[in-house]
Amino acid sequence: MNQFTFEAKHKTVLGSFMALGVICLALTALGDDSYYTRTWSNFLHNSVFFTGIAFVALFVLTAFTTAYAGWHLMIQRVWEAFSAFLLPGLLLMVIVIAGVVLDWNHLYHWADESSVAADTILQGKSGFLNNYWYGLGTILIVGTWAFFGYRFRSLSKEEDEIGTEAYTQYKKTKTLSAIFLPIAGFTSAAMIWQWVMSVDAHWYSTLYAWYATASWFVSAMALTVMLLIWLKSKGYYNHVTPEHFHDLGKYMFAFSVFWTYLWFSQYMLIWYSNNGEETTYFHTRMYEYPALYWGNLLLNFLLPFLILMRNDTKRKFGTLFFISIILLLGHWFDYFQMIKPGVAHTAHEIHEMHQGHGGESHDAATLSAVEGEHTGGTVADAAHDGVEHAMVAENGTEAGHSSFQMGTTFPGLLELGTMLGFLALFLYVVLNRLAKTNLVPENHPFVHESEHHHT
Amino acid sequence: MSTTHKEVLYGLYNDEVELLNAVKQANADHLDIMDVFSPFPVHGLDPLLGLEESRLHIAGFIYGAMGTLTAFLFMSWVFTRDWPIIFGGKPYWSVPAFVPITFELTVLFASIGMVVTFYTICGLSPTRANPTLDDRITDDKFCIAFDTNDSSEADKEKLRSFFSTSGAAEVNTKMV
Repeated sequence: MNQFTFEAKHKTVLGSFMALGVICLALTALGDDSYYTRTWSNFLHNSVFFTGIAFVALFVLTAFTTAYAGWHLMIQRVWEAFSAFLLPGLLLMVIVIAGVVLDWNHLYHWADESSVAADTILQGKSGFLNNYWYGLGTILIVGTWAFFGYRFRSLSKEEDEIGTEAYTQYKKTKTLSAIFLPIAGFTSAAMIWQWVMSVDAHWYSTLYAWYATASWFVSAMALTVMLLIWLKSKGYYNHVTPEHFHDLGKYMFAFSVFWTYLWFSQYMLIWYSNNGEETTYFHTRMYEYPALYWGNLLLNFLLPFLILMRNDTKRKFGTLFFISIILLLGHWFDYFQMIKPGVAHTAHEIHEMHQGHGGESHDAATLSAVEGEHTGGTVADAAHDGVEHAMVAENGTEAGHSSFQMGTTFPGLLELGTMLGFLALFLYVVLNRLAKTNLVPENHPFVHESEHHHT
Repeated sequence: MSTTHKEVLYGLYNDEVELLNAVKQANADHLDIMDVFSPFPVHGLDPLLGLEESRLHIAGFIYGAMGTLTAFLFMSWVFTRDWPIIFGGKPYWSVPAFVPITFELTVLFASIGMVVTFYTICGLSPTRANPTLDDRITDDKFCIAFDTNDSSEADKEKLRSFFSTSGAAEVNTKMV
């Protein structure tokens, strides 16, 4: 079976999960504050996460092609299908852009004119952190990725149809890949800064782009493993053997360790220099998000490190599937704790500013003083009551108030439902493209190498 | 590892595919292969020879864990008990600062431990001479060797016919 059939049954299941996602987003919006902070940040979180997975799939394909790798040919079409999500991902990001430009949301501190006017740091960064760069930059860059994904895909399909021993398409693919790699390297960093790092507009880290991309990378591998195991259970991909899974497992293992290296390095450099402007990022996360912060290390380092270390665990589908679920969720949590604290803080500051408290310095002391007046409601109240309850300053817990806020401090069921909706959309796009052509390329020069792959 | 001399009958093959087929044939004929030599690791050879997965990595894990503990506990002791100094206004027991060194000692212990274990298991040392059956097995020949010290002439004849049917380019005898 070299042809995948996207059955109506699968479409129904994925469609209902997408509906679940929409319902969850709508429910979130119903109980949200006046800025729809939770809804918008969930939307941004998932859009960035899944667009990134699609980007990594294309990056992996081009990197392997440039490196003359042959082992992955059996699963090349899966990654080609992943990269199909770049275009829907761009559309999702366009919705976020519209929200930023038209002031529907307050995800970004730098996008609020009155905040920028009162803040020299934001003014200094306004050359890069502005609506034009955010909007046009995203459209141009993700559009470029999508174009390269489209070219890669069409060359690969063309090779199946008219490919000869001259390997014309393969040669073109190699040129295409070599051009894409440097572009991918620089632009992905720019996108990460714009989309994710700039939610903490005052803060920056030079490791951040690597860190976030490593997170995408592991997630992409985890999703690949799970999808392949499912496809194999349906009788497809009989030539994908434990040897291929072994390599995918190695990638998950290696990039989990790489992610941890960046996680720690980013922390240690900031801890060591002890510069208040920088440490506030970690202070917020360690003391207001302790479960996520330390859970991050458990899920994305300790478990994969210990489980995937052994040779045989990378070859057993059960273990691989288990660790893939952990890693996909773990890195989704990782993005959650990258995005939410900054967004919550921004919403709080902008709220204060619009309430007339603006113009003063917004240091932690001011925030917690203001916060002291507002916190104290139950979680359910806070969900309806608006942003002041949602935003918890650093001293919230010490003052004896409950600082927990579902959807901001920890992902709630609505977040999970939204994620499943986005995942279903991603899989719909992927399976739809997977069904369009052969599951394994036929005329690629390295197909047989991959068929007899041995680690 | 023993230094006792014994007679070895070996055949040289030109290609790894021929070697793999010959090993399969030898297994089918129930011939007792002493060892196989090749210039590089041949994929799929280990299971044919019935070799078990090496347990060296388990030793490596233990050495690594020893390195982790040594580094971490030693630094903790030095900086809290033995010679506490404040660096950069940090607490005495500054765990983040210990991490890089702990990592490095883990790698060091694991790698040196594994090298030493490997050399010990293989009986390798700078003073030990290592006779090769044929110098070309480190270059471009693939070799199957049989221990024929206690074999009868009939057995040897059987081995020779195996070599000729399985496509060996050369067949030799050597005392090692």
